[in-house]
Amino acid sequence: MNSLNFIELRNLYFEYKEENPIINNINLKIKKDEVTAILGPNGSGKTTLGKLIMGILRPTDGQVYISNKDILNMTLAQIGSKIGYLFQNPEKHFFSNTVEEELGFVLRLKGLNEDYVENQVEELLKLFQLEYLKKSSPLLISQGEKQRLAIAAILINDPEYLLLDEPTTGLDMERKDILIKVLKELNKKGIGMTIISHDHFFVEELFHRVINIHRGEIIYDQRI
Amino acid sequence: MIKGFKFDPRTKLTVVLCISTLGIIINDIFSLIFILVLTFLIAKFFHVNIKRSFKNIKKLLYLIFIIAIIQSIFSTEGKALLFIGGFKVLSTSGLGKGIQFILRMMIIIFSAAIIGTSNSREIIQGFVQWGLPYDIAFMVALGIRFLPILTEEVKDSLIAIQLRGIEINNIPIKKRISIYSYIFTPILAGTILKAEKLSIAIEMRGFRAYYNRTSYLVLKMSKWDYLIIFISIILTAYIAIINFTR
Repeated sequence: MNSLNFIELRNLYFEYKEENPIINNINLKIKKDEVTAILGPNGSGKTTLGKLIMGILRPTDGQVYISNKDILNMTLAQIGSKIGYLFQNPEKHFFSNTVEEELGFVLRLKGLNEDYVENQVEELLKLFQLEYLKKSSPLLISQGEKQRLAIAAILINDPEYLLLDEPTTGLDMERKDILIKVLKELNKKGIGMTIISHDHFFVEELFHRVINIHRGEIIYDQRI
Repeated sequence: MIKGFKFDPRTKLTVVLCISTLGIIINDIFSLIFILVLTFLIAKFFHVNIKRSFKNIKKLLYLIFIIAIIQSIFSTEGKALLFIGGFKVLSTSGLGKGIQFILRMMIIIFSAAIIGTSNSREIIQGFVQWGLPYDIAFMVALGIRFLPILTEEVKDSLIAIQLRGIEINNIPIKKRISIYSYIFTPILAGTILKAEKLSIAIEMRGFRAYYNRTSYLVLKMSKWDYLIIFISIILTAYIAIINFTR
């Protein structure tokens, strides 16, 4: 495998019900420094593919490799340390009582210096325009704010790679532009990403490669 | 007769009530084993997927075993079986109580799985036709509906924590407990918010617990339902009388 191939899917197959594959024999190599867009209609298997890559779901058949390592031999935490994953529903990210705690929780748990944690939290609150919500409950903020908080919570971990499932849901044009800017900056720093989206305008601003899936199969795969 | 036959949820509720009553009132371990075997057979008869039920409650089984061990340690009557540093850690009575607890819990859990073979709508209707006020029956059904949501919320939160790079299984137990207690409030708050949204959604669709209700679904008991209810009650009464008069 090419050293740049960060994620590799081999004969990946997944079904919830027998004889009804959601992912049907997908073979794919994703490079680390690229922005890959995965597009497709509702129910085509995009989110399931993302969950299979992250190890949240186990494939019925086939393998997923991250940095040449079969993810069956990795824990969710090991995968999560390499890839920052944004759930389609941002509420699934939250497990803290306030926005501020949500951002700092993991760094504090890892035993990092309090000043460093506070700086990182403040920086991200500012970047995603969430300062005024610092003491609010993540569950009681608006949909767009939840989405921004979920993305910020991933970025605070300094991931090597990002897998974003519908990152623009609930974001207005101004916030989308901010997100595009942030993601472009991250990509310049060598952080690659896979974006699962319906938002063609958003992915066109970022992608190097576009993959279309339909009924669990890749029907189009093109680099620009 | 039974293949493809759909039992009335009231029959299932009666059977579950009978089995769990026996599980609670009987103390003898061999009788409890007999009731458990009977529970498995009855569950199989009602098409419960025993293997899947075992898989679903795997984690709960660990908890049951831990509670049983703690219970056996704190019951010091009877002959001592194990001493540690001069302290009686395990006794015959403690061991007996631990085994009783495990068997009882298994009987209750697997008999309750029988109710799961009917959908919540049928269960509400069963309660209503038994004379329970609709509001209470509906609340019970909603409670049943929310249990898997609560489990899902806990699972999602744990996945989210792990995906942020925290090895939840490798951190010291004290820290792990603090994480669990930490995520408890947002999970509970999330569930309450979901319940609130659900109540708004159903009211927006014109739903209310009106005094006069017409139901499209009306349950009708067959002769097989009556027969099973009759056998269950007679058998339960018989076993209970034998148990108390022995």
